[in-house]
Amino acid sequence: MTDAMTLHASSTAEMIVCDAVDKWYGDFQALKGVSATIAEREVVVVLGPSGSGKSTWIRCINRLEAHQGGRIVVDGVELTNDTRNIEKIRSEVGMVFQQFNLFPHLTVLDNITLAPRWVRKVPKADAEAKAMELLETVGIPEQAEKFPGQLSGGQQQRVAIARALAMEPRVMLFDEPTSALDPEMIKEVLDVMKGLARSGMTMIVVTHEMGFAREVADRIIFMESGEIVEVGTPEHFFTNPTEDRTKLFLSQIL
Amino acid sequence: MGEQRVTSTSTLASTQATKPPWYRDTTIVKWFAQVAALVLVVGALAFLAIVGGDNLEAKDIATDFDFLNINQGFDISEGIDSDPDTGGRALWVGIVNTLRLAVAGMFVATILGVLIGVARLSQNWMVNKAASAYIETLRNIPVIVQIFIYAAVLGGLGRLTADSDFLWGLGYISAKGVSLPRVFVADGFYQWAVFLVIGSVVGFFVHRNRVRLQESTGRITYPNLWALGVLTAFAIVGWFAHPMWGFLSGVFGSIGDAWDSIPQILMQLLLSALVVFSAASWIRRFLDSKRTPAGLAKLTDDDIFRIIFAGVGGVIGLLFLMVLWPGLSSWIVNSGSDFWHFLADKFGDGRSGQPVDAMMPTIEGEGTLLKYGPQGLTMTVGFAAMFLGVTLYTAAFIAEIVRGGILAVPKGQSEAASAIGLNRAQSLRQVILPQAFRVSLPPLGNQYLNLTKNTSLGIAVGYADVVSIGNTLLNQSGKALSVIALWMLFYLACSLSISVVVNWFNVRMKIVER
Amino acid sequence: MSGMITVEEAEEVVALPPEQPSLPPGEWIRKNLFSSIGNGVLTVLFALLLVFAFRGLVNFAFENPERDWDAVRANLRLYMTFAYPLDQYVRVWVSLGIVLSLSGLSAGLWSPDGYVSARRISTWFLGGGAVLLAAALAVQGQLQRDENGEFLIDEDLELIRGSWASGLGSRISWFALAAILIGAGAAIWFGLGDRRRNTFVRTVNLTYAGFGVIVGSLWVVRYGHYNGSPAEGTHYADPDSLVAMSTRLPWTVMWVLLGVSYFVGKAVRGWPLLKPLALTFWGLLPFFVFWVVLRDPDIDWAHVWTTDLPMYLAFAVIGGAVLFTLTNPSLGEIGRALAFVLLLVAVFTFVGGFFGWFSMLQKARLSFVFLAAFALVANNFAGEFAKRRTFVIGWLLTLGVMHYFVTLINSASTLNIRSDSFLGGFMFTIFAAVFGLMFSFPLGVLLALARTSSLPIFRLLATTFIEVVRGIPFITVLFFFSIMLPLFLPEGMEVAEHGAVIVGLVLFSSAYLAENVRGGLQSVRRGQYEAADATGLTTAQRTGLIVLPQALRVSIPPLVGQTISSYKETSLFAIVGIFDFLRIANNVVPNQSSPINFVGHKREGLLFVSLIYWIGSYAMSKYSQKLEKKLGVGSR
Repeated sequence: MTDAMTLHASSTAEMIVCDAVDKWYGDFQALKGVSATIAEREVVVVLGPSGSGKSTWIRCINRLEAHQGGRIVVDGVELTNDTRNIEKIRSEVGMVFQQFNLFPHLTVLDNITLAPRWVRKVPKADAEAKAMELLETVGIPEQAEKFPGQLSGGQQQRVAIARALAMEPRVMLFDEPTSALDPEMIKEVLDVMKGLARSGMTMIVVTHEMGFAREVADRIIFMESGEIVEVGTPEHFFTNPTEDRTKLFLSQIL
Repeated sequence: MGEQRVTSTSTLASTQATKPPWYRDTTIVKWFAQVAALVLVVGALAFLAIVGGDNLEAKDIATDFDFLNINQGFDISEGIDSDPDTGGRALWVGIVNTLRLAVAGMFVATILGVLIGVARLSQNWMVNKAASAYIETLRNIPVIVQIFIYAAVLGGLGRLTADSDFLWGLGYISAKGVSLPRVFVADGFYQWAVFLVIGSVVGFFVHRNRVRLQESTGRITYPNLWALGVLTAFAIVGWFAHPMWGFLSGVFGSIGDAWDSIPQILMQLLLSALVVFSAASWIRRFLDSKRTPAGLAKLTDDDIFRIIFAGVGGVIGLLFLMVLWPGLSSWIVNSGSDFWHFLADKFGDGRSGQPVDAMMPTIEGEGTLLKYGPQGLTMTVGFAAMFLGVTLYTAAFIAEIVRGGILAVPKGQSEAASAIGLNRAQSLRQVILPQAFRVSLPPLGNQYLNLTKNTSLGIAVGYADVVSIGNTLLNQSGKALSVIALWMLFYLACSLSISVVVNWFNVRMKIVER
Repeated sequence: MSGMITVEEAEEVVALPPEQPSLPPGEWIRKNLFSSIGNGVLTVLFALLLVFAFRGLVNFAFENPERDWDAVRANLRLYMTFAYPLDQYVRVWVSLGIVLSLSGLSAGLWSPDGYVSARRISTWFLGGGAVLLAAALAVQGQLQRDENGEFLIDEDLELIRGSWASGLGSRISWFALAAILIGAGAAIWFGLGDRRRNTFVRTVNLTYAGFGVIVGSLWVVRYGHYNGSPAEGTHYADPDSLVAMSTRLPWTVMWVLLGVSYFVGKAVRGWPLLKPLALTFWGLLPFFVFWVVLRDPDIDWAHVWTTDLPMYLAFAVIGGAVLFTLTNPSLGEIGRALAFVLLLVAVFTFVGGFFGWFSMLQKARLSFVFLAAFALVANNFAGEFAKRRTFVIGWLLTLGVMHYFVTLINSASTLNIRSDSFLGGFMFTIFAAVFGLMFSFPLGVLLALARTSSLPIFRLLATTFIEVVRGIPFITVLFFFSIMLPLFLPEGMEVAEHGAVIVGLVLFSSAYLAENVRGGLQSVRRGQYEAADATGLTTAQRTGLIVLPQALRVSIPPLVGQTISSYKETSLFAIVGIFDFLRIANNVVPNQSSPINFVGHKREGLLFVSLIYWIGSYAMSKYSQKLEKKLGVGSR
């Protein structure tokens, strides 16, 4: 733990550091030396065509996938085979999935309180009070006793955000949170995410919502074929991209 | 990317990646747990083996297979040999009896099951309820109870007299069993079989040709009819011309002799080479699959385990062949030569008569036991009870599978079929049944497996199947472990063959689907 | 009729599917039976087939000179409990009483909301009456006897029968019962008129009433009780062996117990903790009934005071302290290391015993294993004081129950048993099925988890075991365990054949259960695992809280199916020499020659056994279908 501590002390402003991260699936290389640093309270939007390695990258950051080369450090703790580090990082990094992945056999309230109670050992009453607070924040306190199957997609995704926030993470990862939603529900989820960004949460968001990227992102990272092609402020990125591949991508979607 | 470059390796470069202590390393913990479990299981088994060995030794029971070569001196009530010379031969009689029962059972249970399953879906209330009553009654009573009942009923029939016939003398039924007309393989069968094999091969090519013709010209070419015609032609010609293959006897004889002269060590080396080669080629292919344009991909611990496992498997196979059971090689040599000599005998002199013969059941006199043989196809009470038991029981399950399979085809399919102008029969044959069959196939395979396993209950009614004869051997020689091992081997082989066949069909169906 | 409610009330509790409006009879017959000429022919053919099959079955079962149902009636006690000593028979009733009380209590606590419409009840009565009437009419003529009482035989050696009407006379009581049933059915049908469709009775009440009718009939109908005269050639029963008359009082008590406990359960419904408590009792019930009530252990109290109790206290206090420490949330890896050390100690107690380094009571070894198991899961129960205290109390109770039962098992039984075991008959079948299920279920879940695990050695071991066991017939497994298991046990350890075959059943059905559970595990989507990981749950928590609850719910119907199979498999015990009720029917009763001669009366017993098996498996399969429908509706 001591090594990790010193690292932490020297880099308070750097929340996530990736250095030349490699990842293979069999003989397919999904990430080719991805290097990036994300500062505390920063909101980064990752853009890129599908199959470009965006999801793989953020899944590596909380060890849903193990990276095979390079290094990842989250809040001063390096992701290695060390179980303690993995546990620590997972409880500090919240994640929201494209398919929500709520636990269908538990009520909304139980979905949110499960991890605090079993991982953080928070007493049940405290966990529930906190969960109600969070449901208040995402705007659906009246749904607490329902099962996920009884909610709309947008409501489910907001519960999923509340579930991730219940662990009081220092970083939130969003893996295409609005891609599985009907158009009329996208806004309610994006509003919650905007509020979260304003509150100073460190966020990495993989999305195709250009409006969101333009409005909220501090920086935009553009990936293609497992590489980071271009990094810049939204202004720079949308108005004056330097790389040809970025221009091509933008011309296709805008 | 110029000034926008964000990579901050400054902090990382100054530190080394810390290696976690071993007890927190996921890879080490993972493998430690697995190896511990393996040690625990192997240790427990070894413990049991040591204790069991001691206990067996104390009781003076050796675990070997000598009893297979010793004349056990007991008679078998039915089968290909009523007075086997050796224990092995006795067991073989049992195996043949089991397979006879299993194959006949599968055949009849399938037909019955499909009929009842279709009846279960009938719009006709009476038919539907009759099928439903059959299914609900038979599948909820244990098969062994049913077998006992059939045995009790059949055993309580009258004595065998000239009057015990039914269907105008086509069969006899009595407490001694059921006797039916019999078609059997006669002298010239093997020679004739050569014609049938050639006919099938030629028929296959003709079939393929006709199909191609139909596909290219669109003309209806009746490929199935043509293939059948070819086969029939060969069968008819062969019926008269089959003695021409008599010369094969000498050929098979000399192959057998040549096989006989293979020294055991050569066979051992050959088999060892085969084992080593397959292990090595597996590892090579595995490594090839991991090769990337950039060189060998990083092997995960899982991959390394697989490679080690293949290697260890090869070494164990080698040990087994060379040290533990060298007899296997000589057994293969012997059975090979036995097989060729058997063929030589079947093609030999005096084997040129009619290929197939048939006869009506006759009885020799009042109360005389009908034997499996010239008096017709005789089922003993044991066989009949087992056959009825396993067949009727399995048919109930097959009926449910068939029904489920047909119901699983979405309604839209038959609607689509009628929309493109197929009539009811065509839509059933071309659209519904193929899909229903695909759904039903895996559970059907399971039922065949269950049926085969249920034939092991013969011991309860005195049917001489492999378990029943094995049990007699066990009681005579006391070598329980050996007999139980042979049973397990036999049934595992059966299960494996059935699942191989079912999987083969399954794969074929899937390819057809795409 | 307090149990009867109208549809308005019922709708509050359950949403009832609307019943199909029925067609007028003529239309119905035309639509379902004679929609075309071919259909008409089929209808007639199958009707004939059914009639002949039914007539054959009825005549086979009842109207045959070789049938003597006294062979079953006089031996009912043998069938049910085999050699259980008569002077201790009250223990069987007490066991049954405990089971029924707990059933009634649970029914009251959970109050299952199942309803049956009056229309269906009426149909049952009418259908039952019709079947009985048909069976009575399907009679053959009575057999003719000569003046010596011998059956008359014609020249073809066939028995000579009188007219059909002569047979009808012998079934006068059947007609009476059929008339009662049809009358009752018709009374409900016409009495309620149009209301029959939306008048409902709780299934619980209906079942209880049915049970009551059967028990009540014991007081009226003298099942199996008859006076015969040896001079007339009719046998007379040994009064001791006649069950029906001697059981009417105990059965009435059972019926009352069931009802009372149901109302008690309803009364205390709202109380906290009762449901988990009832479930715990259900789990302990088989052990309690078997080792305490039926086996009547002779406890050595001196040994209890000097050895058993001190040992319990030592383990309880030290183990409790250790576990309380281990649930300290800030303990970290030290806790896991300590748990691992405890596991090593537990394994070592067995290894050391094997090599004879030291001797130790089996109970102490088991205590170490239990302690290690508790220690391994302890970190999941870390938290505030109350949570830790609950965990330690759980330890004390579990340890106490374990010590209690091991003490009982080690005590000699006081029963005066004639055969090698007091278990036999249907009682053994039930115990084997229940114990088999209780032990094979956790084993099956573990095997399924191992087989779907990402760890190759676990996968390899589980797959090998499952595939080998599934590939071989149950009878060879039984032979293996009844012959080989005693040989494989170390000195001083013994297992009765009854235990050995149950071990065989457990291992056998666990392989099949594992495949069912595996099906459920595979239906849990990948995203569930990822979400659990992302929120920081450990692998054990992920499995226990997220994956298994979802997987088991999906595999409930196949698991019930597997339970039916296991129940039917128990019939194979008869082949390896266990006196279960199939063996009694097939081998024991047909050889009884005194006090009554039942030699050769095998078929009655076999039909009786089939009926019992059929009732059990049919009820379970109906339940499973209902469950499947319910779960299917819920998931969509």
